[in-house]
Amino acid sequence: MRPDILTRAWVALIVLSGLSAVAAGLINRGVDIRVTGTAVLLLALIKARIILAHYLGLAAAPSWRRGFNLSLTLFCILLLGLYLIPAF
Amino acid sequence: MTDPVPDPAPHPLLDELPGDLMIWVLIISELLVFGAGFAAFLSVRLTDPAGFAEAQTHLHRTGAALNTIVLITSGYLAAQALTLRRAARRGAARLALVAAAALGAVFLVIKGIEYADKAAQGITYDTHPFFMFYYLLTGFHAAHVIAGILLLLLVAWRDAPENIETGAAFWHMVDLVWVLLFPVIYLLA
Repeated sequence: MRPDILTRAWVALIVLSGLSAVAAGLINRGVDIRVTGTAVLLLALIKARIILAHYLGLAAAPSWRRGFNLSLTLFCILLLGLYLIPAF
Repeated sequence: MTDPVPDPAPHPLLDELPGDLMIWVLIISELLVFGAGFAAFLSVRLTDPAGFAEAQTHLHRTGAALNTIVLITSGYLAAQALTLRRAARRGAARLALVAAAALGAVFLVIKGIEYADKAAQGITYDTHPFFMFYYLLTGFHAAHVIAGILLLLLVAWRDAPENIETGAAFWHMVDLVWVLLFPVIYLLA
């Protein structure tokens, strides 16, 4: 039986959380923080979009979903910029 | 004879939103407050990136990662509760809400252990600006977790589908904030 959309969202969130931990761990292995920082924030953005779409139900409200996604994406770009300024 | 009161003008965009409009006003307000906090944190970090990186080594990443799993799972149970209630499975919905609240309590226990460890190391809010933001943002979030637990238990008791939808939406907002707080405070060294 195919799992329902909520269960698939939960599994995706767990997997993405694991990937975030792996990406953050790469900092200690000498990987450039511009790469790891981008990966960590990108994964956080994807997780936030899943929560909005499936936990909060915005999948059924496409206009609002687009608005939230755009705002969150711009906000994460701002955070990434602030994080990376000392690296340049 | 008085004229009938006309129906209010329809608002297709607002009607599209799931659940009560006011919970969305609250969610957007909270996201703006926490968002300003994260941006302020990373802005102050610009003045002392090395100090912020050193301070971050005192945090428990494993505990915080565990708390991410706990909150994500708790959010899943709260979302399932609404589906179950709409399917008229009231008992199962209530059980899911109580389980979600219990996981919220687990989150607070792990957070409490983390705070106790900081206290044992002599770390307070004025040890370094990093810790001022750490206590401010995680403490404010923990206060929302406490409010969310009470709300989940309240809607488990008064279990109309609309109530569950509102309580679960608040809980998902708490979840959403943590998903952004965790990388900013714990992972971005």
